[in-house]
Amino acid sequence: MSPQLTLQTPLELAPADVPTYLEQLWSPEQQGSTGTGANTFCLLIWQPAWAEQHLIRTGRLNGPITGQQSDQLVAAGQQAVIDADLPSGTPPLAEAVISAVAGWDGINPSEDLRGQYIDPALSALQPRRLITLAPMIEADHPLETLVAAYCPLPEEGGGTTACGDVVVLRGSQNALEEGLAILQPLLPARMPAWVWWNGSLDEAPDLLDQLAGTPRRLILDSAVGTPRQCLDLLRTRVQSGQAVNDLNWLRLSNWRETLAMVFDPPQRREALNHITQMEIDVESNHPAQGLLLAAWIADRLGWKLISSDSDDEAINARFTRGDGVEVRFQLMSVPVGQPSVHPGQMVGLRLICKPDSSPGVCVILCTESGGCMRLESGGMADLELHEEIVPVQNRTPEMDVARLLGGGHDTTNPLLASAAPLAASLLP
Amino acid sequence: MSAMLATVTNPLRVGLRQERVIAPQCLVIFGASGDLTHRKLVPALFELFRQRRLPSEFAVLGCARRPWSDEEFRGKMGDALAKRIEEDPQAWEQFVGKLFYEPVDLQQPDHVFRLGERLERIDEQCSTHGNRTFYLSVSPKFYAGGCRSLADAGLLKDPKRSRVVIEKPFGRDYGSAQALNRVVQTCGQENQIFRIDHYLGKETVQNIMVLRFANTIFEPIWNRNYISSVQITAAETVGVEERAGYYETSGALRDMVQNHLTQMLAITAMEPPGRFDPEAIRNEKAKVLQATRLADELEPWNCCIRGQYGPGGSNESPLSGYRKEPGVDPNSTTETYVAMKLFIDNWRWQGVPFYVRTGKRLAKRLSEVVLTFREAPVHLFDAAAGGPTANQLILRIQPDEGAEFRFEVKSPGSGMRSRPIDMEFSYDDSFGEPSDEGYVRLLADAMLSDPTLFTRSDEVEAAWRLYTPLLELIEDSPWQLPVHPYESRTWGPAAADALLARDGLLWRRP
Ligand SMILES: NC(=O)c1ccc[n+]([C@@H]2O[C@H](COP(=O)([O-])OP(=O)(O)OC[C@H]3O[C@@H](n4cnc5c(N)ncnc54)[C@H](OP(=O)(O)O)[C@@H]3O)[C@@H](O)[C@H]2O)c1
Repeated sequence: MSPQLTLQTPLELAPADVPTYLEQLWSPEQQGSTGTGANTFCLLIWQPAWAEQHLIRTGRLNGPITGQQSDQLVAAGQQAVIDADLPSGTPPLAEAVISAVAGWDGINPSEDLRGQYIDPALSALQPRRLITLAPMIEADHPLETLVAAYCPLPEEGGGTTACGDVVVLRGSQNALEEGLAILQPLLPARMPAWVWWNGSLDEAPDLLDQLAGTPRRLILDSAVGTPRQCLDLLRTRVQSGQAVNDLNWLRLSNWRETLAMVFDPPQRREALNHITQMEIDVESNHPAQGLLLAAWIADRLGWKLISSDSDDEAINARFTRGDGVEVRFQLMSVPVGQPSVHPGQMVGLRLICKPDSSPGVCVILCTESGGCMRLESGGMADLELHEEIVPVQNRTPEMDVARLLGGGHDTTNPLLASAAPLAASLLP
Repeated sequence: MSAMLATVTNPLRVGLRQERVIAPQCLVIFGASGDLTHRKLVPALFELFRQRRLPSEFAVLGCARRPWSDEEFRGKMGDALAKRIEEDPQAWEQFVGKLFYEPVDLQQPDHVFRLGERLERIDEQCSTHGNRTFYLSVSPKFYAGGCRSLADAGLLKDPKRSRVVIEKPFGRDYGSAQALNRVVQTCGQENQIFRIDHYLGKETVQNIMVLRFANTIFEPIWNRNYISSVQITAAETVGVEERAGYYETSGALRDMVQNHLTQMLAITAMEPPGRFDPEAIRNEKAKVLQATRLADELEPWNCCIRGQYGPGGSNESPLSGYRKEPGVDPNSTTETYVAMKLFIDNWRWQGVPFYVRTGKRLAKRLSEVVLTFREAPVHLFDAAAGGPTANQLILRIQPDEGAEFRFEVKSPGSGMRSRPIDMEFSYDDSFGEPSDEGYVRLLADAMLSDPTLFTRSDEVEAAWRLYTPLLELIEDSPWQLPVHPYESRTWGPAAADALLARDGLLWRRP
C-alpha cells in the first residue's frame, strides 16, 4: 500500500488562526460535513528529513519531500556514501552523509509534502490529530502553517469514518521555534499525546525538552545521534517517569526472543548462573544498541557493573555476578559490507558459561544478514555449542511507530526502564 | 540471583512475550456478576494486564441486572482474585481502575441504549476509540436477544470496531443452532462473531496444526495409506459437581462431544489450508466436518455407546453415583459418558475409523489424540510381544502436554527380536513455562479480532448435524441407546470396549 494523501488540499492559514479554525471545524454544527472527530490520540512529529531535503536539492533523489523512509531515499544515501568517499561501513542516512551532501551544490526545487503524506500503518489507527514540525534547509524561511481535515478512506464493508486533521508547521528551524506557542491548544489534555522525534537526538535539545514533556509519550531512536547523547537522553527521559519508547530497543526484540529461547529448556538454565564472558559485535561505530542488549542481560541476571573503559577498538567492561564471580564484557564494531540504515545494528553475541561441575556452554547468536566469524573463532574447543540465527526485522520506522501507537502504554516498558540507565553507565 | 530462582523461571523470558498488540478498546462483559466472569474472565484479563499485553487505553465494563456501582464491582472482583492480587498488589491497584459497572438487563432495549451512552463516556474517559468487544457470558437463552438488542442500539454497526463473543453452548441441536446463527447473522457480519470453544484455546490443540503443517515429515503419512485408526479421548475424573442443573439438560454428547472433541477431530483430520489465515483454516475445518458421519447412521446404536457413572471409590472415600448427586433426577438417563465411531468420507480418510470418547469420573484426567499406523507389510523379526506393535503417534493435550512416538527397535542381546519404545517430547522439558490458560489466549484473540480459534457458523452447524441421528434417537426412543452404568474411576462401560473389540482393537490405556 502506498501512503495516503490528505483528502483536501491543505489550507494555508496564519499561525494565529489555526486553533480557532480547528475548533470550528469540529464544532457540533460542522459535524455533518466533516464526520466525527476520532477519539483516539494526537501525534506530534519532529520531521527534519535533512538527508532527504539535501539529496533532493542536489538532484540525487526525485521529490516531493515526504519525510518517509523510502527505498529510493536509502539508495540515494548509499550512492552518496560512495561519492563522498566515506568509509564503506557508513550507514546511508548517517550524520556524516548529511554533512557531505549539505556541502554539495544544487538548487533543485521540490514540493514539500511532509505531514500530508500519511503512512497507511499510521492512518489505519485513525489518529485524531497529526502535527508535523517540518524544519527547512533554507535558513530564513518564515513560518507557514497548513491545516487539513482528513478521513481515512472508509474501507469496504462500511463502518463509520472517524476523522482527524493534520497540521503542518514549516519554516526554518528558528521560525519553527518561535511558532511553538500555537501547539499547546492543539493538544487536548483528554487524549494521549505522542511525540515522535524522528531526527537526531543531538539537534535542538531545547526544542525536544519543550515538545516532549510529561505526560506526553515520547518515541525516539537511540541509534541516531552521538552515542553519549543518545544514551544519556534515553536515561534521563526514562528516569523522569514518562513513557519512553526507543525504536532502537524495539529493533532488538528478535535478539531478546532468540536468546530467551536458548534458555527455555529448564536443563539449560543453570548455565545462566555461570556466565564468565559476554561479547557483542555491532555494525559501524555506534554502540547504543549493543549496550542496551548487554544491559538487559546484565540486569536480568542480577550483575553489578564494576568498571568500563574503551580503546580504539572496543568497549571493555567488568561485572560481578550474584555469587561474586567476575564477568568480562566486550563490545566491538565490525566492518560489514552493506550497513543497515540504522547505525550500530547488532551483528553477533557470544556468551560463555562455565559451570563448576558440568562442561562449559557457549551460546552464539548471529544475525541472518551477515557472518559472525570473529565470535565463532577460537577458545571454545571444549565447550558445548548452541548457535542460533536471529531473523532480520525489515520494518520501516513508520511501521514500528504504528505498532507502538496501536497498543500504547502510558509507562515505559519495564525491561527498557531497567536497561537504559545501565547502558548509559556502560558507555565509558 | 540464586540458583533456585534461575531454574524455576527463565530470567530472560520475563516480560518478553512477542505478542501482537491489542488495540485500545472497551470490553463489555454481560453476566459480570456470574460465575465465569470472576472465575475465568477477569483473572485472564488481569493476567494479560500483568504481561503488559493490554493497551493503556483500555476499560472493562461489567454489566448484569443487579444494581452494583463501579466500586462494588471492583470490590467483588478483588475478593474473587484475592490470592492472585497478593502476588502483585501494585498491578491490581492499577488494573482495578479500568473496571467499571453498568446495570443492564439485556431484555430491556432502553437499558441497552443507555449502555451506548455509558460507552461513549468511557470512550471520552479512557480514549478507547469507540472500539468494543461484547462478551455474552449469560445464559444461552439470552444469546439471540442480546445480539439483537446490541444491533438495535447501533452498537454493532461498525464491523471493524465491534465484535461479539458468544459462550458455549451454541444451540442444543442442529435446528436451534441454525436458528441462532440466523439471528446472530442479521445483527452483524460473520467476522464480528466469536463463538468460544475453550479447547481451541489450548496450546497443545493449536500445536496439532503446527506439527502437521510446519513439518514435512508428518503430512505425507497423514492419511488412509498409513494410518489405520484414530482415537480421540477427553477424560475427566470429576463428577458433575455443582452443575447438575445444566448437565441434566445437556449430557456428555452436547457438553463435550459436539464441540470440543469434534474440534479436535477437525484439526486432526482437516486438509492443509492454502495459507495460515483464519478463513482458510476455518474453511478446511468446516469441509472436513461436512464429510464426517457416524459409522452407522441408520442404526446408530451399532456405533455409539452411552454410559452413566455409578458409585465407586474406596471404603475410606466412597464416591456416589450420578443419580445420587444433588440436583440429579434419581431416574436420570442423562449420559456422563459417550464413545462412538465415525468415518470421514473423503480421499484422505476413506475407511479409517475415528473413535472418540469422553466421560466424567473416569480413571484419569487426560485428553489426547492417538494415531495408529498400519502394520509393516511383512514381519521380518520376532517381536517381544508376539506380533510387532503398531507405530503410534500420541498427541497429549493435557496434562503433561506433549507428543510421543512409539516405534519398534531391536531389543538388546543376540538375535533380532524387536520391541516398542517411546520417543518423547514434553512441553515442560522444552519450554519449562506453564502455557497460558485457554481463556487468556481466547480473550486476547477476540480483542485482536483474530477469529482463527473460534468456530464459524458452518462449523457449528456441521458439528450439530453430524450428531443429529443420535440426538433424535435419544429423544424419540432412548431405550435403543441405553445408558450403561459404569463404576466411578474406571474407564467406562464394558460396551465401549466391545465397540472396539469388534474391529479387533483396544482403547489405549494411558
Ligand atoms: N461457569 C463456567 O465454568 C462456564 C463454562 C463454560 C461455559 N459457560 C457459559 O458461560 C455463560 C455464563 O455462565 P455462568 O456460569 O457465569 O452463569 P451464571 O453464574 O449463572 O451467571 C449469569 C449471569 O447473567 C446475568 N444475567 C441474568 N439475566 C440477565 C439479563 N437479563 N441481562 C443481563 N444479565 C443477566 C446474571 O446477573 P444478574 O442476576 O445480576 O443479572 C449473572 O451475572 C453461560 O452461557 C454458560 O453456558 C460457563
